[in-house]
Order: sequence, then C-alpha cells, then structure tokens
Amino acid sequence: MTGTVLPRVLRAATFRFAALYVAVFAGSALVLGAAAFFEARSALRQQMTDRIKSEATFLKDEFQTQGLGHLIDVVRTRGQGASALDYLVEDRSGTHLVGEMPAVKDLKPGWTTIDVPRASEDGGRPERVRALVADLGVGVLLAVGVDLRQIGELEEAFATAFLWTIGPAAVLGIIGGAVLSRAFLRRVDTIDRTVEAIIGGDFTRRVPTRGTGDDLDRLASTLNRMLDRIAALMDSLRQVSSDVAHDLRTPLSRLYQRLEEARAHARSVADYESSIDAALGEAQGLLETFSALLRIAQVEGASSRAGFSEVSLTGMTETVVDAYLLDAEEAGHQLTSTICQNATVNGDQELLMQALANLVENALRHTPPGTRIDIRLESDPEAGVLLAVEDNGPGVAEVDLPRLTGRFYRGERSRTTPGNGLGLSLVSAVAELHRAKLTLISRKPGLRVCLAFPVDERWPAHAKRSAAL
Amino acid sequence: MKILLIEDDKETSTYVARGLREQGHVVDVAATGRDGLFLATDGGHDVLIVDRMLPGVDGIGLVQTLRQTGIKAPVLFLTALGGVGDRVRGLEAGGDDYLVKPFAFAELHARINALARRPPLSDTSTVLRAGDLEMDLLKRTVMRGGRPVELQPREFQLLEFLMRNADRVVTRTMLLEAVWDFHFDPKTNIVETHISRLRSKLSQYGGAELIHTVRGAGYALRAPAPDSP
Repeated sequence: MTGTVLPRVLRAATFRFAALYVAVFAGSALVLGAAAFFEARSALRQQMTDRIKSEATFLKDEFQTQGLGHLIDVVRTRGQGASALDYLVEDRSGTHLVGEMPAVKDLKPGWTTIDVPRASEDGGRPERVRALVADLGVGVLLAVGVDLRQIGELEEAFATAFLWTIGPAAVLGIIGGAVLSRAFLRRVDTIDRTVEAIIGGDFTRRVPTRGTGDDLDRLASTLNRMLDRIAALMDSLRQVSSDVAHDLRTPLSRLYQRLEEARAHARSVADYESSIDAALGEAQGLLETFSALLRIAQVEGASSRAGFSEVSLTGMTETVVDAYLLDAEEAGHQLTSTICQNATVNGDQELLMQALANLVENALRHTPPGTRIDIRLESDPEAGVLLAVEDNGPGVAEVDLPRLTGRFYRGERSRTTPGNGLGLSLVSAVAELHRAKLTLISRKPGLRVCLAFPVDERWPAHAKRSAAL
Repeated sequence: MKILLIEDDKETSTYVARGLREQGHVVDVAATGRDGLFLATDGGHDVLIVDRMLPGVDGIGLVQTLRQTGIKAPVLFLTALGGVGDRVRGLEAGGDDYLVKPFAFAELHARINALARRPPLSDTSTVLRAGDLEMDLLKRTVMRGGRPVELQPREFQLLEFLMRNADRVVTRTMLLEAVWDFHFDPKTNIVETHISRLRSKLSQYGGAELIHTVRGAGYALRAPAPDSP
C-alpha cells in the first residue's frame, strides 16, 4: 500500500539503490567514527594519567630535597598559573595546607575521585576530579588530579564534529539519489513510451539512443535489435502467407480440374485410374511443398540451437558427395570434390546435410549434361570453415542472385524442371541458424554457392579428436 | 501379427487398421492414451503404433510409462511433427521408429515388418546368406556363387541392409535413413541409381535376380526358390 502512496521518484530503483548506499555509507562511517572516538579517548586519558604521575613525582622530589615550605610555594604558584591540573597538600589529620581541592579525611595513597565545590561557576554542582594521592611521609599527603569535565568537553566536541560531517553527507546522498533517479526515470519513460507505441501497432518506432554506450544505451540498442528481428520475422510471415496463397493455387486448381474432369468425362475404369493417379501425383507434390515449407519454418523459428552438437563437416561432405556421385554420372555431370580434413562445426547434422544435398541437387538439376560440379570444403584457422558448391553451367543472371533464396523463386529456365523453389530457402534458413554466411556468386560461367561458418562456431579443441574418428 | 494402434484421429485409425487387417494382422485400436495403456498392459502385441499427439497425454509420455511397466514391444511413432528434435525426442523416449504424416500405407507396413522381426542385438553371426549370395561382415567381402563381387563401401552397406531384411519390403526412405543417414527426401534418384548399380554388379556372372522392385513400396531381396533336385 505504501508503494502507491510514495512519489514515483522514491519508488525508482535508482533511488532505492542510492538510499541503500547512503545507509551503508553512514553505517560504516559510524562504526569507523566510534572506533576513532574510543581510541582518541583512551589516548587522552593515558596522556592525562602520565602527566599526573610525572607531576606527582616532580613534587615529591621537590618536597624531599627542599622541604614542605618549598612544596607549598610551588603548589601555590602552579595553582595561580594556567596549569590544567588541580592540587592538594594536607597533613594526616586532614588539615588543608595548600591547593584548589578541599581537604579530605582518610585519604589513601593511589587513584581516587575528589569532589571540588565550585559554586560560582556551576550553580553549586561539584566538579569531579580524578586524582593520584601520594604519601610524602612525615604525615604529609599530596594529591594531583584533573577535572573530569575537561575530558568530557573534549569528547563532546569530537562527537559533535563527527555528527556534523555524517549528517549532511547522508542528506546530500539522499538528495543525489533522488536527482539521479529522476534523470534515470526520464530515460526509462522514453523507452516505456516507445514500447507502448510499438504495442499500439507502430512497428517502425525504435528506442532512441544517446550514443554514449552506457548501460541504458546498450539496453536500448539490444531492444532495437530485438525489434528489428521481430519486424523481419513478421515481414517474412506476411511474405510467406501471400507466397503460399499464390503458389499453391496453381497445383490446387490443377488437382481440382483433374478431379472435375474425371467426374464429368471418365468412361472406363482405366480413365478413372489414370485420373486418380494424376490427382495423387498432384497431392503428393502439394504435400511435399507443405512439408518443405514447414521444415523451413521450423528451422527459421528454431530455438533448436540447443540441440547442436559437434558435426564433422568432412565426414558429412564425403557422405553427400558419395551419395550423388552415381547420380551425377548417370546424368552426364562431372562431380568432383576437394575436402579438407578435420573440419567441424557446432551444428545440426541433419539440417547441414540437407542443406548441402539441396545445393548439390540444384547444381545437378539446373545445369546441362557435361557440366562440372565441384564441391569444396576448406578450413582456415582465421577465416573459419568454407563449404562451396560450384558449377560451370549457364549460371544465374546477376540481377536474379538476391531473389534466389526467396521462397518459391524459380528461374525462367527452371519453370519446366521439377521442384518447388524452396531448396535455397531452406539452405538460407539453415545457414542463418548456424550463423553462417550464405553467398551466391556468378562465376561467368556458372554459379558458386558458398557457406562460410564463423570461427567461433567451431570446436577447435575437438578438431584433433574428430580427425581420429 | 498382433498390432496395437493408439490414434485419436478416426479417419487415420480406420485407414491404417483396415490396411493392416487386409494384410492379415490382428489390430486393436485405442483412441485415447488411457485405453491404449490399458490394452498395451494386457500384453501380447508384437508392435505398437502410437500417435505423438493424443488427447490428454503426449504419446512420448505414454511410451515412457509403457517402458517403465516393462512392455518391450517395439513402438512406431506416427506424427505430424516432422522436426528433427521431435524425432530425436521420440526415439529417446523409447520409440523404435518414427513416421511423419502423411505417409503411404506401404511405408508404414514395411516399417512395421522391419520392427517386428528386428533381429535381437546379440546377433553374432558374421556371415549373411541369401541363396548363392554370401556376405562376410568381418572381411567385408561378398561372394556370388563362390565368385567375389567387388563393391564400393556404400554399395556394401546397401546390400547389408537388404540382406538383413531379406524377404521383406524395405522402402526408399528406410534405405536413405539407414545407408546415407538422409532424414529428408532428396529429389534425385540416389536410391534408384545405387540399386541398379548393385544389381548389375550382382548379376555380372549371371544368376537370378535377387533385388526385386516392389511397385509403389520399395525393394525386397529374395533368394530364388532352391531348384528341385
């Protein structure tokens, strides 16, 4: 309940941090101050004790060398001077001989406390004097002491000075905290307003940054990158929906026509069978397109980097090359490969394999017989791992290159070959999942498709081990 | 074979059950995980076909429970989830095979046959035989009618899989998974070209055809019936 009553500034995290800091600071200052205080007090007392002891010894010497009369003179002179000490000389019967302190009966040698009445100064409150009593022999007692109030005053001055320093420091700290949290709140409010606007539907808004690179700036730019990613995903979702709607229309209407035609015109079992076979073929194609789309969507939306493990690209590339060697031969293509040893990446083996297979199949399907297809796997400690599929076929026009990875894109020449235009989309999605860079270069003649895996995706520590496998 | 089908989609279960019964199998059908569990613990099934997404209970949870209760019958998962991770999770939970919907009935049937007659793991035989074809798994050699046949490593693997599954249909997908580790459908004729190369190598000295194409389903390796003496 109190939270809602407090002003916003006081509820801000910054303010709470500042307050906490001030509290910790004041607490530790108090502990340190107290320690210093007690140390100073004990030093002061020790000093007083030493002074009293040496004064008593001095006066004792004076008495023993020059007699009582001299002692009385010295004490009287001291009393009149500016000495901070109080004195008393009395005989054993308690008769006051000299000094500010009154005579005390049965004074015993050693430390004692004597009350000295000072009516004029303190309204009759007696002064307490801490005194050292010495027996000078021959019935004479000497007391040298110090007014305890003097020490008290010093201690009080010390404590007051200390509190005067801590108090304002704490107040300043609290004010500083409040000011800081106001500044902080303003920036948080900016972020808040931007995010509210985005929630409200304006996806073009971005959180402003100051360019100072401070923590709020970093937070803002991270937020912005997240927003960019979300916007890109939303765009691709919109794109996919319209692509799907557009590109599935054709096979669906073909399917519909075939069934309709069979219904209207088929006269024999053979007619029906051929119509059903054709319809099944169309349905099969549609299902394949859907599962390819689904697979791309899964890869693109994957949080499945979690399932990554060490993949031997060397072994994987060898498997794929080996799988397509016969096929290429039958189709009159030359399939060659240059595969380096020990190339590994952290990734998803199945997806990487499918990506490479798609690249090889593309090269096989979209080039005429006699074309040379070269698969290269290169590993470089600096540049990372490069996986490239090159051909010297007719290639792709420069302007079409960027569109190749889009869904359902099919070049003019490949309209007649089987396929759904999703192969490179999947490669692109797999590349993105592995943070690999996919580049398509027109080689004139031919096409080079290259996947570059960044260095940090590799597991160098395991490179040697996998080489042995 | 006695088969338990746990599938909540009425159309799919009718289609699958009818197909399996036509092939001469006994089929129990359960539409919920609970019924499935009940029927399965009753025992005696050679193969279980389990849908991944069942009302109330995940197919994976169901199979885990089955495995805990000591039911060892092989399990084939049916699923609309074709993701890599999904398949791995299914197999880790104690499934033996995985088939993504939509599937051809021939594919399902071939896989069930393979599962039901899967040889025990302790099969220590090092020589496979089919008619006059002999494969030595240790020496990695193949002999046809006593004469050596030179095979590439991949062809050897392909033939080994066919021989291990002799007399049953193996589908193109099963071969892709087992021989090439391809868990996707390539658009080219990898399997076809390798099979035809293998056939021509096996018949280079004559002899009957061993690898038969099963139309609409896949391939089967069958030893010719021994000549009557």
